[in-house]
Amino acid sequence: MGFLESVALYNFLRGPMVWITFIVFIVGSIYRIYTLINLAKKEKVVLPFINLKAAIKSYFHWLIPFGSRSWRLRPYFTLFTFVFHTGIVFIPIFLYAHNALWYESWKISWWTLPETVADVWSIFVIIGCLFFIGRRIFDPTVRFVTTYSDFVFVFICLFTFLTGFLAHYQWLLPYRAMLNLHILFGEIMLIAIPFTRLTHMYYFFFTRAWMASQAASWKTKDW
Amino acid sequence: MAIKPEVSEEKEVYVSPYFPEYVRPKIEDPGLDETIKRITPEKIEKAYQAVFGKETARIKAIVETCIHCGLCAEACQWYLSNDRDPTYAPVAKVKMTVWELMKRKGKVEPSLVYDIARIAFTECNICHRCSLYCPFGLDITFIIGLVRRFCFLLGVVPQRMFEMNQAFMATLNQVWMSQSDYIDTLFWREEEGMYELKNLRIPMDIEGVEVIWYPLAAEPKAGVYHIDRIAKIFQVAGVKWTMLTINDSWDSSNMPMFIRDFFTMQRIVRGLYDNAARLRAKKLVLTE
Repeated sequence: MGFLESVALYNFLRGPMVWITFIVFIVGSIYRIYTLINLAKKEKVVLPFINLKAAIKSYFHWLIPFGSRSWRLRPYFTLFTFVFHTGIVFIPIFLYAHNALWYESWKISWWTLPETVADVWSIFVIIGCLFFIGRRIFDPTVRFVTTYSDFVFVFICLFTFLTGFLAHYQWLLPYRAMLNLHILFGEIMLIAIPFTRLTHMYYFFFTRAWMASQAASWKTKDW
Repeated sequence: MAIKPEVSEEKEVYVSPYFPEYVRPKIEDPGLDETIKRITPEKIEKAYQAVFGKETARIKAIVETCIHCGLCAEACQWYLSNDRDPTYAPVAKVKMTVWELMKRKGKVEPSLVYDIARIAFTECNICHRCSLYCPFGLDITFIIGLVRRFCFLLGVVPQRMFEMNQAFMATLNQVWMSQSDYIDTLFWREEEGMYELKNLRIPMDIEGVEVIWYPLAAEPKAGVYHIDRIAKIFQVAGVKWTMLTINDSWDSSNMPMFIRDFFTMQRIVRGLYDNAARLRAKKLVLTE
Protein backbone atom coordinates (compact mmCIF):
# COMPACT_ATOMS: atom_id res chain seq x y z
CA MET A 1 0.00 0.00 0.00
CA GLY A 2 3.00 2.21 0.47
CA PHE A 3 3.59 2.93 -3.20
CA LEU A 4 -0.08 3.35 -3.99
CA GLU A 5 -0.39 5.93 -1.25
CA SER A 6 2.84 7.74 -2.10
CA VAL A 7 2.88 11.39 -2.99
CA ALA A 8 5.35 10.62 -5.77
CA LEU A 9 2.77 8.51 -7.60
CA TYR A 10 0.14 11.16 -7.02
CA ASN A 11 2.41 13.86 -8.38
CA PHE A 12 3.16 11.79 -11.45
CA LEU A 13 -0.46 10.93 -12.16
CA ARG A 14 -1.58 14.44 -11.46
CA GLY A 15 1.22 16.13 -13.39
CA PRO A 16 2.85 14.68 -16.52
CA MET A 17 0.42 11.80 -16.84
CA VAL A 18 -2.54 14.15 -17.22
CA TRP A 19 -0.79 15.96 -20.03
CA ILE A 20 0.08 12.68 -21.73
CA THR A 21 -3.47 11.44 -21.33
CA PHE A 22 -5.12 14.48 -22.78
CA ILE A 23 -2.65 14.78 -25.64
CA VAL A 24 -3.04 11.11 -26.54
CA PHE A 25 -6.81 11.33 -26.24
CA ILE A 26 -7.25 14.48 -28.28
CA VAL A 27 -4.59 13.85 -30.92
CA GLY A 28 -5.57 10.20 -31.19
CA SER A 29 -9.23 11.05 -31.62
CA ILE A 30 -8.53 13.65 -34.27
CA TYR A 31 -6.27 11.17 -36.05
CA ARG A 32 -8.91 8.45 -35.96
CA ILE A 33 -11.61 10.75 -37.32
CA TYR A 34 -9.28 12.18 -39.95
CA THR A 35 -8.18 8.75 -41.22
CA LEU A 36 -11.75 7.48 -41.34
CA ILE A 37 -12.92 10.45 -43.39
CA ASN A 38 -9.90 10.13 -45.66
CA LEU A 39 -10.66 6.48 -46.22
CA ALA A 40 -14.30 7.31 -46.89
CA LYS A 41 -13.20 9.77 -49.58
CA LYS A 42 -11.51 6.91 -51.43
CA GLU A 43 -14.76 4.98 -51.66
CA LYS A 44 -17.08 6.04 -54.43
CA VAL A 45 -20.34 5.59 -52.63
CA VAL A 46 -19.93 6.82 -49.08
CA LEU A 47 -19.64 10.60 -49.03
CA PRO A 48 -21.89 11.46 -52.01
CA PHE A 49 -24.66 9.45 -50.38
CA ILE A 50 -24.58 11.21 -47.02
CA ASN A 51 -27.88 12.96 -46.43
CA LEU A 52 -27.35 15.45 -43.63
CA LYS A 53 -31.01 16.06 -42.92
CA ALA A 54 -31.73 12.37 -42.48
CA ALA A 55 -28.60 11.96 -40.38
CA ILE A 56 -29.60 14.72 -37.97
CA LYS A 57 -33.10 13.30 -37.66
CA SER A 58 -31.57 9.94 -36.93
CA TYR A 59 -29.19 11.33 -34.27
CA PHE A 60 -32.12 13.02 -32.64
CA HIS A 61 -34.17 9.85 -32.44
CA TRP A 62 -31.34 7.68 -31.21
CA LEU A 63 -29.96 10.17 -28.70
CA ILE A 64 -33.18 10.61 -26.78
CA PRO A 65 -34.32 7.73 -24.55
CA PHE A 66 -37.06 5.59 -26.09
CA GLY A 67 -36.83 7.61 -29.28
CA SER A 68 -36.38 4.57 -31.49
CA ARG A 69 -38.08 1.22 -31.74
CA SER A 70 -34.96 -0.60 -30.68
CA TRP A 71 -34.86 1.43 -27.45
CA ARG A 72 -38.53 0.85 -26.76
CA LEU A 73 -38.16 -2.90 -27.15
CA ARG A 74 -35.66 -3.05 -24.27
CA PRO A 75 -36.71 -0.51 -21.64
CA TYR A 76 -34.25 -1.57 -18.91
CA PHE A 77 -31.32 -1.64 -21.25
CA THR A 78 -32.29 1.78 -22.58
CA LEU A 79 -32.63 3.26 -19.12
CA PHE A 80 -29.25 2.02 -17.98
CA THR A 81 -27.46 2.79 -21.21
CA PHE A 82 -28.64 6.39 -21.15
CA VAL A 83 -27.86 6.94 -17.48
CA PHE A 84 -24.50 5.29 -17.98
CA HIS A 85 -23.45 7.13 -21.14
CA THR A 86 -24.66 10.56 -20.11
CA GLY A 87 -23.04 10.01 -16.73
CA ILE A 88 -19.73 8.98 -18.15
CA VAL A 89 -19.61 12.10 -20.33
CA PHE A 90 -21.13 14.75 -18.07
CA ILE A 91 -20.20 13.77 -14.51
CA PRO A 92 -16.45 14.15 -15.05
CA ILE A 93 -16.93 17.49 -16.75
CA PHE A 94 -19.34 19.02 -14.24
CA LEU A 95 -18.17 17.45 -11.01
CA TYR A 96 -17.33 20.02 -8.32
CA ALA A 97 -14.05 18.33 -7.33
CA HIS A 98 -12.84 18.21 -10.94
CA ASN A 99 -13.77 21.83 -11.40
CA ALA A 100 -11.77 22.70 -8.35
CA LEU A 101 -8.74 21.04 -9.93
CA TRP A 102 -9.19 23.07 -13.10
CA TYR A 103 -9.49 26.19 -10.99
CA GLU A 104 -6.40 25.31 -8.99
CA SER A 105 -4.33 24.82 -12.15
CA TRP A 106 -5.64 27.32 -14.65
CA LYS A 107 -8.04 29.54 -12.69
CA ILE A 108 -10.98 28.48 -14.82
CA SER A 109 -14.23 26.99 -13.68
CA TRP A 110 -17.76 26.49 -14.86
CA TRP A 111 -21.18 25.32 -13.78
CA THR A 112 -21.04 22.33 -11.43
CA LEU A 113 -23.41 19.59 -10.37
CA PRO A 114 -24.93 19.63 -6.88
CA GLU A 115 -23.26 17.02 -4.75
CA THR A 116 -26.31 14.82 -4.22
CA VAL A 117 -27.11 14.77 -7.93
CA ALA A 118 -23.54 13.77 -8.74
CA ASP A 119 -23.61 11.05 -6.08
CA VAL A 120 -26.90 9.53 -7.16
CA TRP A 121 -25.93 9.74 -10.79
CA SER A 122 -22.61 8.01 -10.06
CA ILE A 123 -24.37 5.23 -8.20
CA PHE A 124 -26.62 4.74 -11.22
CA VAL A 125 -23.58 4.61 -13.48
CA ILE A 126 -22.10 1.93 -11.25
CA ILE A 127 -25.37 -0.01 -11.29
CA GLY A 128 -25.41 0.41 -15.05
CA CYS A 129 -21.94 -1.13 -15.26
CA LEU A 130 -23.07 -4.07 -13.14
CA PHE A 131 -26.14 -4.41 -15.36
CA PHE A 132 -23.97 -4.57 -18.47
CA ILE A 133 -21.70 -7.14 -16.88
CA GLY A 134 -24.68 -9.21 -15.79
CA ARG A 135 -26.13 -9.00 -19.27
CA ARG A 136 -22.89 -10.23 -20.76
CA ILE A 137 -22.88 -13.19 -18.40
CA PHE A 138 -26.53 -14.19 -18.27
CA ASP A 139 -28.05 -13.24 -21.63
CA PRO A 140 -27.16 -16.14 -23.98
CA THR A 141 -27.32 -13.98 -27.10
CA VAL A 142 -24.90 -11.43 -25.71
CA ARG A 143 -22.74 -14.05 -24.03
CA PHE A 144 -22.16 -15.76 -27.36
CA VAL A 145 -20.59 -12.65 -28.89
CA THR A 146 -18.84 -11.32 -25.81
CA THR A 147 -15.06 -11.18 -25.80
CA TYR A 148 -12.74 -10.47 -22.89
CA SER A 149 -12.20 -6.93 -24.13
CA ASP A 150 -15.89 -6.21 -23.62
CA PHE A 151 -15.53 -7.01 -19.94
CA VAL A 152 -12.35 -4.98 -19.71
CA PHE A 153 -14.09 -1.87 -21.08
CA VAL A 154 -16.93 -2.14 -18.60
CA PHE A 155 -14.60 -2.86 -15.70
CA ILE A 156 -12.45 0.18 -16.49
CA CYS A 157 -15.54 2.38 -16.34
CA LEU A 158 -16.79 0.60 -13.25
CA PHE A 159 -13.51 0.99 -11.38
CA THR A 160 -13.15 4.64 -12.38
CA PHE A 161 -16.53 5.52 -10.96
CA LEU A 162 -16.33 3.20 -8.00
CA THR A 163 -12.92 4.46 -6.87
CA GLY A 164 -14.00 8.04 -7.42
CA PHE A 165 -17.09 7.53 -5.33
CA LEU A 166 -15.21 5.71 -2.57
CA ALA A 167 -12.44 8.29 -2.58
CA HIS A 168 -14.99 11.05 -2.14
CA TYR A 169 -16.38 9.37 0.98
CA GLN A 170 -12.97 8.07 2.05
CA TRP A 171 -14.18 4.51 2.47
CA LEU A 172 -12.37 1.19 2.17
CA LEU A 173 -8.84 2.31 1.28
CA PRO A 174 -6.86 5.26 2.57
CA TYR A 175 -7.92 8.41 0.76
CA ARG A 176 -4.78 8.95 -1.27
CA ALA A 177 -4.53 5.34 -2.41
CA MET A 178 -8.10 5.39 -3.63
CA LEU A 179 -7.56 8.73 -5.30
CA ASN A 180 -4.47 7.46 -7.10
CA LEU A 181 -6.39 4.45 -8.33
CA HIS A 182 -9.22 6.69 -9.46
CA ILE A 183 -6.91 8.95 -11.45
CA LEU A 184 -5.12 5.94 -12.91
CA PHE A 185 -8.31 4.27 -14.14
CA GLY A 186 -9.64 7.53 -15.51
CA GLU A 187 -6.45 8.07 -17.46
CA ILE A 188 -6.46 4.50 -18.77
CA MET A 189 -10.01 5.04 -19.97
CA LEU A 190 -9.22 8.27 -21.80
CA ILE A 191 -6.12 6.78 -23.41
CA ALA A 192 -8.03 3.67 -24.43
CA ILE A 193 -10.70 5.61 -26.30
CA PRO A 194 -8.78 6.21 -29.55
CA PHE A 195 -7.21 2.77 -29.64
CA THR A 196 -10.06 0.43 -28.84
CA ARG A 197 -13.70 -0.06 -29.71
CA LEU A 198 -14.46 2.76 -27.28
CA THR A 199 -14.09 4.85 -30.44
CA HIS A 200 -17.79 4.28 -30.77
CA MET A 201 -17.93 7.55 -28.83
CA TYR A 202 -17.40 9.46 -32.07
CA TYR A 203 -17.77 6.74 -34.73
CA PHE A 204 -21.42 6.67 -33.66
CA PHE A 205 -21.99 9.86 -35.62
CA PHE A 206 -20.40 8.49 -38.80
CA THR A 207 -21.99 5.07 -38.89
CA ARG A 208 -25.35 6.52 -37.91
CA ALA A 209 -25.13 9.11 -40.69
CA TRP A 210 -24.40 6.41 -43.25
CA MET A 211 -27.31 4.22 -42.25
CA ALA A 212 -29.69 7.17 -41.98
CA SER A 213 -28.73 8.28 -45.48
CA GLN A 214 -29.30 4.81 -46.83
CA ALA A 215 -32.64 4.54 -45.08
CA ALA A 216 -33.60 7.95 -46.47
CA SER A 217 -32.78 6.80 -49.98
CA TRP A 218 -35.19 3.89 -49.46
CA LYS A 219 -37.75 6.40 -48.18
CA THR A 220 -37.90 4.74 -44.78
CA LYS A 221 -36.64 5.67 -41.35
CA ASP A 222 -33.98 3.99 -39.31
CA TRP A 223 -35.35 4.50 -35.82
CA MET B 1 -57.65 -33.98 -24.98
CA ALA B 2 -54.10 -32.92 -25.40
CA ILE B 3 -52.53 -33.55 -28.72
CA LYS B 4 -49.48 -35.72 -28.41
CA PRO B 5 -46.72 -34.46 -30.61
CA GLU B 6 -45.20 -37.24 -32.61
CA VAL B 7 -41.59 -37.76 -31.80
CA SER B 8 -39.76 -37.18 -35.02
CA GLU B 9 -36.85 -39.31 -36.00
CA GLU B 10 -33.51 -38.16 -34.73
CA LYS B 11 -32.05 -36.09 -37.52
CA GLU B 12 -28.38 -36.12 -38.22
CA VAL B 13 -26.89 -32.92 -36.93
CA TYR B 14 -23.96 -30.89 -38.06
CA VAL B 15 -21.83 -29.34 -35.33
CA SER B 16 -19.31 -26.78 -36.41
CA PRO B 17 -15.77 -27.73 -35.41
CA TYR B 18 -15.10 -24.05 -34.67
CA PHE B 19 -18.22 -23.03 -32.77
CA PRO B 20 -19.67 -25.74 -30.55
CA GLU B 21 -22.88 -23.71 -30.21
CA TYR B 22 -23.48 -23.87 -33.95
CA VAL B 23 -25.64 -26.98 -34.27
CA ARG B 24 -27.75 -27.43 -37.37
CA PRO B 25 -29.41 -30.27 -39.24
CA LYS B 26 -27.15 -31.84 -41.77
CA ILE B 27 -27.83 -30.71 -45.31
CA GLU B 28 -26.48 -31.95 -48.59
CA ASP B 29 -25.68 -29.33 -51.14
CA PRO B 30 -23.15 -30.07 -53.86
CA GLY B 31 -22.49 -26.35 -54.12
CA LEU B 32 -21.05 -26.40 -50.59
CA ASP B 33 -19.94 -30.00 -50.06
CA GLU B 34 -18.10 -30.51 -53.34
CA THR B 35 -16.57 -27.09 -53.74
CA ILE B 36 -14.84 -27.01 -50.36
CA LYS B 37 -12.90 -30.09 -51.46
CA ARG B 38 -11.40 -28.09 -54.29
CA ILE B 39 -10.19 -25.05 -52.37
CA THR B 40 -6.87 -24.73 -50.59
CA PRO B 41 -5.72 -22.42 -47.79
CA GLU B 42 -3.73 -20.40 -50.33
CA LYS B 43 -6.82 -19.79 -52.45
CA ILE B 44 -8.75 -18.82 -49.35
CA GLU B 45 -6.15 -16.32 -48.34
CA LYS B 46 -6.12 -14.85 -51.82
CA ALA B 47 -9.88 -14.44 -51.77
CA TYR B 48 -9.69 -12.93 -48.31
CA GLN B 49 -7.12 -10.40 -49.47
CA ALA B 50 -9.26 -9.52 -52.48
CA VAL B 51 -12.34 -8.78 -50.38
CA PHE B 52 -11.11 -7.69 -46.95
CA GLY B 53 -7.43 -7.03 -47.59
CA LYS B 54 -7.74 -3.40 -48.58
CA GLU B 55 -8.78 -1.33 -45.60
CA THR B 56 -11.93 0.57 -46.44
CA ALA B 57 -13.83 3.09 -44.40
CA ARG B 58 -17.00 1.09 -44.12
CA ILE B 59 -15.42 -2.18 -43.01
CA LYS B 60 -13.16 -0.33 -40.59
CA ALA B 61 -15.96 1.70 -39.07
CA ILE B 62 -18.25 -1.30 -38.73
CA VAL B 63 -15.74 -3.68 -37.21
CA GLU B 64 -14.22 -1.09 -34.89
CA THR B 65 -17.49 0.32 -33.63
CA CYS B 66 -19.51 -2.79 -32.81
CA ILE B 67 -19.69 -3.02 -29.05
CA HIS B 68 -21.30 -6.48 -29.04
CA CYS B 69 -24.51 -5.33 -27.35
CA GLY B 70 -26.78 -7.77 -29.16
CA LEU B 71 -29.59 -5.29 -29.85
CA CYS B 72 -29.62 -6.30 -33.50
CA ALA B 73 -30.87 -9.77 -32.53
CA GLU B 74 -34.40 -8.48 -31.96
CA ALA B 75 -34.60 -7.49 -35.62
CA CYS B 76 -33.68 -10.79 -37.19
CA GLN B 77 -36.48 -13.07 -38.36
CA TRP B 78 -34.08 -16.01 -38.26
CA TYR B 79 -33.34 -15.33 -34.61
CA LEU B 80 -36.97 -14.79 -33.66
CA SER B 81 -38.26 -17.84 -35.50
CA ASN B 82 -35.61 -20.15 -34.03
CA ASP B 83 -36.49 -19.70 -30.35
CA ARG B 84 -33.95 -16.92 -29.92
CA ASP B 85 -31.06 -19.21 -30.65
CA PRO B 86 -27.97 -17.04 -30.04
CA THR B 87 -26.22 -18.35 -33.14
CA TYR B 88 -28.90 -16.82 -35.36
CA ALA B 89 -28.41 -13.26 -34.11
CA PRO B 90 -26.94 -10.93 -36.75
CA VAL B 91 -23.97 -10.08 -34.57
CA ALA B 92 -23.34 -13.79 -34.03
CA LYS B 93 -23.32 -14.31 -37.78
CA VAL B 94 -20.78 -11.52 -38.12
CA LYS B 95 -18.76 -13.04 -35.30
CA MET B 96 -18.69 -16.47 -36.89
CA THR B 97 -17.76 -15.12 -40.32
CA VAL B 98 -15.90 -11.83 -40.48
CA TRP B 99 -14.41 -11.64 -37.01
CA GLU B 100 -13.16 -15.18 -37.38
CA LEU B 101 -11.64 -14.41 -40.79
CA MET B 102 -10.08 -11.19 -39.56
CA LYS B 103 -8.76 -12.80 -36.41
CA ARG B 104 -6.96 -15.40 -38.52
CA LYS B 105 -6.11 -12.90 -41.27
CA GLY B 106 -7.65 -15.17 -43.88
CA LYS B 107 -5.43 -18.11 -43.03
CA VAL B 108 -8.24 -20.59 -42.51
CA GLU B 109 -9.13 -24.15 -43.41
CA PRO B 110 -11.79 -25.05 -46.00
CA SER B 111 -14.00 -26.44 -43.24
CA LEU B 112 -14.40 -22.94 -41.81
CA VAL B 113 -15.30 -21.66 -45.26
CA TYR B 114 -18.10 -24.23 -45.28
CA ASP B 115 -19.47 -22.80 -42.04
CA ILE B 116 -19.09 -19.26 -43.31
CA ALA B 117 -20.85 -20.01 -46.58
CA ARG B 118 -23.66 -21.80 -44.79
CA ILE B 119 -24.18 -18.88 -42.43
CA ALA B 120 -23.94 -16.14 -45.04
CA PHE B 121 -26.07 -17.80 -47.70
CA THR B 122 -28.63 -19.88 -45.90
CA GLU B 123 -29.22 -18.01 -42.63
CA CYS B 124 -29.43 -14.39 -43.72
CA ASN B 125 -31.94 -12.79 -46.06
CA ILE B 126 -29.90 -9.58 -46.44
CA CYS B 127 -33.01 -7.60 -45.51
CA HIS B 128 -31.25 -4.75 -43.63
CA ARG B 129 -33.56 -4.89 -40.61
CA CYS B 130 -30.68 -5.44 -38.18
CA SER B 131 -29.05 -2.20 -39.35
CA LEU B 132 -32.22 -0.34 -38.44
CA TYR B 133 -32.16 -1.81 -34.92
CA CYS B 134 -28.47 -1.27 -34.28
CA PRO B 135 -27.84 1.77 -32.06
CA PHE B 136 -24.89 2.67 -34.25
CA GLY B 137 -26.65 1.91 -37.52
CA LEU B 138 -23.88 -0.46 -38.50
CA ASP B 139 -24.39 -1.81 -41.98
CA ILE B 140 -24.34 -5.49 -40.99
CA THR B 141 -25.87 -6.49 -44.30
CA PHE B 142 -23.00 -4.91 -46.16
CA ILE B 143 -20.59 -7.08 -44.20
CA ILE B 144 -22.61 -10.23 -44.89
CA GLY B 145 -22.61 -9.20 -48.55
CA LEU B 146 -18.84 -9.05 -48.50
CA VAL B 147 -18.74 -12.48 -46.92
CA ARG B 148 -20.91 -13.75 -49.73
CA ARG B 149 -18.52 -12.17 -52.20
CA PHE B 150 -15.63 -13.94 -50.47
CA CYS B 151 -17.47 -17.27 -50.79
CA PHE B 152 -18.39 -16.54 -54.39
CA LEU B 153 -14.76 -15.89 -55.31
CA LEU B 154 -13.97 -19.32 -53.89
CA GLY B 155 -16.94 -20.85 -55.67
CA VAL B 156 -18.47 -22.03 -52.40
CA VAL B 157 -22.07 -21.09 -53.16
CA PRO B 158 -25.26 -23.13 -52.65
CA GLN B 159 -25.95 -24.97 -55.87
CA ARG B 160 -29.27 -23.33 -56.65
CA MET B 161 -27.91 -19.82 -56.27
CA PHE B 162 -24.93 -20.61 -58.40
CA GLU B 163 -27.05 -22.15 -61.14
CA MET B 164 -29.23 -19.08 -61.24
CA ASN B 165 -26.13 -16.98 -61.57
CA GLN B 166 -24.92 -19.14 -64.42
CA ALA B 167 -28.22 -18.51 -66.21
CA PHE B 168 -27.51 -14.79 -65.95
CA MET B 169 -23.93 -15.19 -67.09
CA ALA B 170 -25.06 -17.07 -70.19
CA THR B 171 -28.33 -15.39 -71.16
CA LEU B 172 -28.69 -12.26 -68.97
CA ASN B 173 -32.00 -13.58 -67.69
CA GLN B 174 -32.74 -16.04 -64.98
CA VAL B 175 -34.78 -18.58 -66.94
CA TRP B 176 -32.55 -19.40 -69.95
CA MET B 177 -35.01 -17.70 -72.29
CA SER B 178 -33.78 -17.04 -75.81
CA GLN B 179 -34.48 -13.88 -77.75
CA SER B 180 -36.78 -15.65 -80.22
CA ASP B 181 -38.73 -17.24 -77.38
CA TYR B 182 -39.15 -13.85 -75.81
CA ILE B 183 -40.39 -12.18 -79.00
CA ASP B 184 -42.72 -15.09 -79.63
CA THR B 185 -44.19 -14.79 -76.15
CA LEU B 186 -44.82 -11.08 -76.58
CA PHE B 187 -46.66 -11.67 -79.91
CA TRP B 188 -48.71 -14.40 -78.27
CA ARG B 189 -49.71 -12.19 -75.35
CA GLU B 190 -50.62 -9.38 -77.74
CA GLU B 191 -52.91 -11.73 -79.59
CA GLU B 192 -54.49 -12.97 -76.36
CA GLY B 193 -55.02 -9.46 -75.06
CA MET B 194 -56.68 -8.27 -78.26
CA TYR B 195 -59.79 -10.26 -77.41
CA GLU B 196 -60.24 -8.23 -74.28
CA LEU B 197 -59.10 -4.78 -75.31
CA LYS B 198 -59.59 -3.48 -78.81
CA ASN B 199 -56.41 -2.66 -80.74
CA LEU B 200 -54.13 -3.78 -77.93
CA ARG B 201 -50.50 -3.54 -78.98
CA ILE B 202 -47.37 -4.63 -77.25
CA PRO B 203 -44.95 -2.22 -78.88
CA MET B 204 -41.41 -3.47 -79.38
CA ASP B 205 -38.30 -1.35 -79.75
CA ILE B 206 -40.06 1.95 -80.46
CA GLU B 207 -37.75 4.94 -80.26
CA GLY B 208 -38.48 8.13 -78.36
CA VAL B 209 -41.03 6.65 -75.97
CA GLU B 210 -41.97 7.83 -72.54
CA VAL B 211 -41.66 4.52 -70.73
CA ILE B 212 -39.61 1.42 -71.32
CA TRP B 213 -40.82 -1.57 -69.35
CA TYR B 214 -38.44 -4.33 -68.32
CA PRO B 215 -40.23 -7.40 -66.94
CA LEU B 216 -38.85 -10.05 -64.66
CA ALA B 217 -37.79 -13.08 -66.63
CA ALA B 218 -40.35 -15.13 -64.75
CA GLU B 219 -43.13 -13.13 -66.40
CA PRO B 220 -42.63 -14.21 -70.03
CA LYS B 221 -41.75 -17.68 -68.76
CA ALA B 222 -44.31 -18.50 -66.09
CA GLY B 223 -46.58 -15.53 -65.39
CA VAL B 224 -47.34 -14.59 -68.99
CA TYR B 225 -50.70 -12.98 -68.20
CA HIS B 226 -48.80 -10.18 -66.42
CA ILE B 227 -47.57 -8.95 -69.77
CA ASP B 228 -50.95 -8.30 -71.37
CA ARG B 229 -52.28 -6.83 -68.15
CA ILE B 230 -49.48 -4.30 -68.06
CA ALA B 231 -50.00 -3.66 -71.77
CA LYS B 232 -53.69 -2.94 -71.14
CA ILE B 233 -52.87 -0.55 -68.33
CA PHE B 234 -50.38 1.36 -70.44
CA GLN B 235 -52.71 1.47 -73.43
CA VAL B 236 -55.72 2.69 -71.44
CA ALA B 237 -53.56 5.23 -69.63
CA GLY B 238 -52.39 6.50 -73.00
CA VAL B 239 -48.72 6.20 -72.23
CA LYS B 240 -46.27 5.89 -75.07
CA TRP B 241 -44.34 2.81 -74.03
CA THR B 242 -42.30 -0.03 -75.38
CA MET B 243 -40.69 -3.32 -74.53
CA LEU B 244 -37.24 -4.22 -75.63
CA THR B 245 -36.31 -7.16 -77.81
CA ILE B 246 -33.23 -6.03 -79.75
CA ASN B 247 -30.87 -7.86 -77.45
CA ASP B 248 -30.79 -9.97 -74.30
CA SER B 249 -30.80 -7.16 -71.72
CA TRP B 250 -34.44 -7.09 -70.78
CA ASP B 251 -34.63 -8.96 -67.48
CA SER B 252 -34.76 -6.55 -64.57
CA SER B 253 -34.18 -9.10 -61.83
CA ASN B 254 -30.61 -8.86 -60.67
CA MET B 255 -30.08 -12.18 -58.94
CA PRO B 256 -26.25 -12.08 -59.10
CA MET B 257 -26.61 -9.45 -56.39
CA PHE B 258 -27.40 -12.22 -53.94
CA ILE B 259 -24.02 -13.78 -54.36
CA ARG B 260 -22.29 -10.46 -55.09
CA ASP B 261 -21.07 -11.34 -58.53
CA PHE B 262 -20.15 -7.75 -59.36
CA PHE B 263 -19.27 -8.39 -62.98
CA THR B 264 -22.60 -9.92 -63.94
CA MET B 265 -24.47 -7.37 -61.81
CA GLN B 266 -22.81 -4.64 -63.79
CA ARG B 267 -23.54 -6.28 -67.14
CA ILE B 268 -27.23 -6.45 -66.29
CA VAL B 269 -27.64 -2.91 -65.04
CA ARG B 270 -25.51 -1.41 -67.76
CA GLY B 271 -27.43 -3.35 -70.39
CA LEU B 272 -30.76 -2.01 -69.13
CA TYR B 273 -29.56 1.60 -69.09
CA ASP B 274 -27.81 1.32 -72.46
CA ASN B 275 -30.95 -0.04 -74.08
CA ALA B 276 -33.08 2.69 -72.55
CA ALA B 277 -30.64 5.27 -73.87
CA ARG B 278 -30.64 3.64 -77.31
CA LEU B 279 -34.42 3.95 -77.52
CA ARG B 280 -34.30 7.44 -75.93
CA ALA B 281 -36.81 6.33 -73.30
CA LYS B 282 -37.51 8.86 -70.56
CA LYS B 283 -38.40 6.43 -67.80
CA LEU B 284 -37.51 2.88 -66.92
CA VAL B 285 -40.28 0.85 -65.35
CA LEU B 286 -39.25 -2.39 -63.67
CA THR B 287 -41.32 -5.18 -62.22
CA GLU B 288 -40.75 -5.44 -58.51
